[in-house]
Amino acid sequence: MSASRKEMNTFSRREFLKASGLSAGGLMIGISLPLGVLGSMDSAGFEPNAFVHIDKNGVTTIYCGRCEMGQGISTALPAAVADELEADWARVKVLQGDADKKYGPQATGGSRSINLMFEPMRKAGAAGKEMLIAAAAQTWKIPAEKCYAKSHAVFNHLDDRSLQYGDLVAVASSLPVPEEPVLKTRDQFRYIGKPLQRHDQRDMAVGERIYGADKKLPGMKYAAIRHVPVLGGSVKSVDKTAALAMKGVVDVVEIPRFDKPFGSIGGVAVVADNTWIAEQALAKLKIEFEAGKNGSYDTVEYKKQLVRNVEAPAKSEFEKGSLDQAFEDAAVKHKATYTGGHLSHSPMEPMASLVWVQKDKCEIWASTQDPVSIQTTIGAYLDRKPEDITVHVMMAGGAFGRKFKCDYVQEAAACSKAVGAPVQMTWSREEDTRTGFYHSCSAQHIEASVDEKGKLTGWLHRAAFPPIASLFNPAVVQPSAGDLDAVSKHPYGIENMRVESGMAPVHTRIGWYRSVYAIFYGFAINVFTDELAHKAGVDSLQFFRNIYANNKNPDQAEQVKRSLGVLNKAAEMAEWGKKLPANQGMGISVHHSFESYVSMIAHVEVDGDDITVHRVDCAVDCGLVLNPDIATAQMEGAIIMGLGLAMNTEIRFKNGAVVNSNFHDYPVLSISETPTEINVSFVGQDYRPTGLGEPGVPTTAPALANALFAATGKRYRSLPIKPA
Amino acid sequence: MSFSITINGQVHKTDVDGDMPLLWFLRDTLELTGTKYSCGMGICGSCTIHLDDEAVRSCITTVSEADGKKVTTIEGLSKDGSHPLQIAWLKNNVSQCGYCQPGQIMTAAEFLVQNPEPSTEEINDALEDNICRCGTYIRIRKAVADAAEQMKEA
Repeated sequence: MSASRKEMNTFSRREFLKASGLSAGGLMIGISLPLGVLGSMDSAGFEPNAFVHIDKNGVTTIYCGRCEMGQGISTALPAAVADELEADWARVKVLQGDADKKYGPQATGGSRSINLMFEPMRKAGAAGKEMLIAAAAQTWKIPAEKCYAKSHAVFNHLDDRSLQYGDLVAVASSLPVPEEPVLKTRDQFRYIGKPLQRHDQRDMAVGERIYGADKKLPGMKYAAIRHVPVLGGSVKSVDKTAALAMKGVVDVVEIPRFDKPFGSIGGVAVVADNTWIAEQALAKLKIEFEAGKNGSYDTVEYKKQLVRNVEAPAKSEFEKGSLDQAFEDAAVKHKATYTGGHLSHSPMEPMASLVWVQKDKCEIWASTQDPVSIQTTIGAYLDRKPEDITVHVMMAGGAFGRKFKCDYVQEAAACSKAVGAPVQMTWSREEDTRTGFYHSCSAQHIEASVDEKGKLTGWLHRAAFPPIASLFNPAVVQPSAGDLDAVSKHPYGIENMRVESGMAPVHTRIGWYRSVYAIFYGFAINVFTDELAHKAGVDSLQFFRNIYANNKNPDQAEQVKRSLGVLNKAAEMAEWGKKLPANQGMGISVHHSFESYVSMIAHVEVDGDDITVHRVDCAVDCGLVLNPDIATAQMEGAIIMGLGLAMNTEIRFKNGAVVNSNFHDYPVLSISETPTEINVSFVGQDYRPTGLGEPGVPTTAPALANALFAATGKRYRSLPIKPA
Repeated sequence: MSFSITINGQVHKTDVDGDMPLLWFLRDTLELTGTKYSCGMGICGSCTIHLDDEAVRSCITTVSEADGKKVTTIEGLSKDGSHPLQIAWLKNNVSQCGYCQPGQIMTAAEFLVQNPEPSTEEINDALEDNICRCGTYIRIRKAVADAAEQMKEA
């Protein structure tokens, strides 16, 4: 799901700038990219375009087409535009773009926003700057080469005249858009690489940031919903009498399952004058559910089956060298099995949107990561063209992959259609917990060999987990070769390998959860490597270093270099090897995901059942960092999420339905469990920028588990470590 | 039955059902959306407000319980975002998605009145039931400590 460097080059080459237009008295610049060049993490297509708007007073609006969910993208990318535009950030207003092809790929996931949009957005800014310079040159009747832009104005080298951007927009609007605007060199950056404050920090601290759950419209109604608890189940009967008799209840709306990948699982909704009445009425409904074919799903049993499926030969998807020979010649052999549970994204803002279905239009305000899939899904549901569905992208109160799916929007649309008014539906926490698109539960079995020189020579890896592809095609019952790439193409570059896929038929909806499969791959590979190091009697850091150093594959030379770069940096930060008290320990991990590299060292103390994480040192190579403060915050957040899933959280199913309901039985990490110290360093900034939102998650659990081993001698191979 | 509640200095008279949680009265009736819904059972802290200067969870506090009392929400904590905690939140760039932060700030505001010189452990204890899924805890700790320092100097 990651764009390769080759694709990126193609992308730059084929990119072209679109003609400008004068709108509302200002200069607008868009860039447009050919459809489908980039590939996609979902079925929705890409057609990039970004906007700069400068009005006659110089007020500059930069539109962010990527969705904001707390990762700071609506500051990082617009700041890059402003940098190239030579706009004064103080005079820049950032607006979130509605769903529209002109903004390019808006499906915000896969840690790809900066990776994909950094260059195009910079070009949008640079093109604007060149046009403003050309406009000044024309006004002054001097060559453009003699002019330059700085901080919202154009100057020249011949005299002391200058023109403000606002004064130039009329002339600039009549000029052609440069096809290949010249981008700044790094030493010329004004905002890129600086810890610019997010444009919305103040709004969030005073309660003025408006989320999907907050949008208001005159005459709106509020809805609450109870979902079918089992995938593929249905509502057998519903007695609405008591609910409909309640004051303030508008209607009870049955919503059948909408059989699209992001459609509703089915349920019954109440529309009322406020959310509270809707919830009260919901409790008075007498609903009988039909469980259907997944009614016996039980995750305790299912995970046992996954373990059996990986501890026996499975379907070989990748093979190189001679694993049998490597195992035969081994000085040290080791095998182990790792498991992990389903996870729920559980953003603090549950699924919420406001939808107004009218006869000839449909307008939606949604906390979302993927406004275009809202257009296609709601379009399909209402039997209208996607472009006839207006989607306003609202600030998402957390998302983590969940708000990629628009089932909650479709349910609000069903209610709005039924009552003929704008309807805001906010899921209860219980519905949010129980009606997810969960991270796959998993089992992995690894066997490996080390020769007499301490070299890792062979690696057998079997993985079984219900894959995300099952959401799009229920016939998919085990990981594909591509799903196993993180192992097959791992920068370890082990010479003798076999990678096998175990059966894992799906019984619930599986989705992308922050860092996706890298969570369990990062865990198993790093813990197993640590186990091997101990078995081979080599210091863990040294053992990791040796594995990478032994990879002589020229195609992986950069991966090796960058993996070693973060590994060595983390070791230096944590002072790896320093003497610690008996009940304390350090654990190391390193993982490559979303085109970036992260290494972590966790320092823990164990006292009986109490685990204290004193410190996490984290070295990151995601290439150029656009905003070091936002980037650091992303890593801090990833570590907190990683510790939560490592220690506490698992979604459990019994009789086909989720057992958990709220934060008491899905205990995401709290402040007292948070490490005293988290240190983040960025290395490798000469490379182009790559993923940052996700790559911090996969290294956290294995660093913790390896640290726990160092402190106690006990191996943790199953997540979460402390099941609820 | 009619209720009278002073919210951010303004008297509101209402005849809504007295069992209605204050959260929904604020959000849906008065359209004061700075107070957030997240768990509905008083365990996550996103809906924290002050009721007669005490930090309470508005999702489990009813309108009738607030009758005749003074309610402060994030919108009324300061006139212009000038509460030392809000300043410290900006200084430390605490918020990521920001959804839980009004609740964090309201909890911390009452706490600092009770305990003007808190230790890290005391900050942890005070904010233990305010969940942040983005994982901004390190910065929350720092911002609360910074605000305490500021308030001491003021």
